[in-house]
Amino acid sequence: MDRLWWHFQQLLKIDAMNLVILVIVVLIGWTIISETIPNPARYLPSPLAVSLSSVDMLVKGLLPSYYSDTLVRLIIGSSIGLAAGIPFGLLLGLNKTVADMFHPMMNFFQSVSGIAIFPIVVIWWGNSDTTVLAVILYTSFFPIAFNVLSGVREIPIRYVNAARTMGASKYQIMKDVLFPGAMPHIATGSRLSIGFAWRAVIAGEMLAGRQGLGWMIFTGQDADRTAEVILGMVMIGLTWIILDHYLLRPIEADTIERWGLVQR
Amino acid sequence: MNSMTPKLVVEGLTHYYPDEYTGESVHALEDINLELYEGELVSVVGPSGCGKSTLLNILAGLLPYKIGTASVDGNVIHGPGPDRGVVFQEHAILPWRTVAKNIGHGLEIRKVPQAEREKRVQEFIDLVGLTGFEDKFPHELSGGMKQRCQVARTLCSDPVVMLMDEPFAAVDAQTRITLQEELNRIAMATHKTILFITHSVEEAAFLADRCLVFSARPGRLKEIVEIGIPREQRNWTNMNDNAIFIAARDRILASVREEVSIAVEE
Repeated sequence: MDRLWWHFQQLLKIDAMNLVILVIVVLIGWTIISETIPNPARYLPSPLAVSLSSVDMLVKGLLPSYYSDTLVRLIIGSSIGLAAGIPFGLLLGLNKTVADMFHPMMNFFQSVSGIAIFPIVVIWWGNSDTTVLAVILYTSFFPIAFNVLSGVREIPIRYVNAARTMGASKYQIMKDVLFPGAMPHIATGSRLSIGFAWRAVIAGEMLAGRQGLGWMIFTGQDADRTAEVILGMVMIGLTWIILDHYLLRPIEADTIERWGLVQR
Repeated sequence: MNSMTPKLVVEGLTHYYPDEYTGESVHALEDINLELYEGELVSVVGPSGCGKSTLLNILAGLLPYKIGTASVDGNVIHGPGPDRGVVFQEHAILPWRTVAKNIGHGLEIRKVPQAEREKRVQEFIDLVGLTGFEDKFPHELSGGMKQRCQVARTLCSDPVVMLMDEPFAAVDAQTRITLQEELNRIAMATHKTILFITHSVEEAAFLADRCLVFSARPGRLKEIVEIGIPREQRNWTNMNDNAIFIAARDRILASVREEVSIAVEE
């Protein structure tokens, strides 16, 4: 826990001044472009217009409602995806023949992105919450399961043999050798999974027509409210940066470095 | 059980395995017979590919065998078990466990209560000279310390027989000498029955009560050399002046070299 806190502090130290300068430059450039083009409200509303729109959305309570819808979907979908994907990868990894057999199949599925399976899921469940959740689950399950399986396959067989010669059962081997041995892959895979799930939830809300940030962007375009579209994009990016930078990366760095599995 | 009942018995063990690349059947061991008595340290030497590691893997229960029998304390070996502890060549302690947690792993697997476990773990940490390193992770240890940790882990489970697979092959020469003396001291202190696989003739002669010389493949038990030097007298400061040691070493060396030249001619 102390080390996690340390990583967190390290990340906070990124040159705040540089970041502020960069953001100011981007905002100024954006404003200039928006002031010079015709009909900016339709093509590129200025940062100020976007801010005003966000205040408006906040006052109406739409932004918090859409935002929490999206976050709840992400959390539920990727939690189930991880909770199912990690044990699945470990179980496959218990037996080398089974692991070798499933590896290409898992590789196949983790490459077929969430957006590509959308049409078939819509055929199954229509435009519903089930559809959105199913796609998030799918996109988060395969990257983590595939990573865990790869991680287990990379664990030197002598670690497993050492545990076996001490009389370890299959369950004990999984708990004491495979799970900790695959930990760096579990951390990396979780980060990947949640990243994919984040994309999937936005796409899902657009295509399956549900509430949420994706929905907000989609309807914003339909109703010619470009400021809302940009606001939605900014929220998506900022949320990921915060999630990744302050939660996922510290966990990943901590697990990988802690046991000296990667030498610093 | 009297002291003349062997702890480990191998009878008529013959083994073939398919070559990893060509799939051809490799004749690894031919009619191996051996007995290890309580408190005895027996070393096995032979040219590369003579099947000595195959033998160890079979005894460890990691490799299934069909022809002949192998048993420990009268129980026929079918797979791994805590009655046999194995010290592997290198890097076999778990990197995500501390020294103490690695050493206590076998007891943890057998669900020994924590208080008793900690007491035993400390005992073996002290025995192998890792006191003060209890909470270090393996990547913070030197090669020699890792092997001490492995020996402690194996002994802590109190196996009937300790099987050692070229345990000191990967450490530097100075450390190896120290570890050999340490193992001699530990063998004296614990009276463990030990089978020690090595390719070093010096090491085999220094440590063993009996040294088994294996022939080139298929591995046969070619010769048994007895080395009747009391353990208290075994240390590297005076071994090189010890006539029994020199005679045993030279005899083993000559025997192994004969086999190496046969292996080369093939």
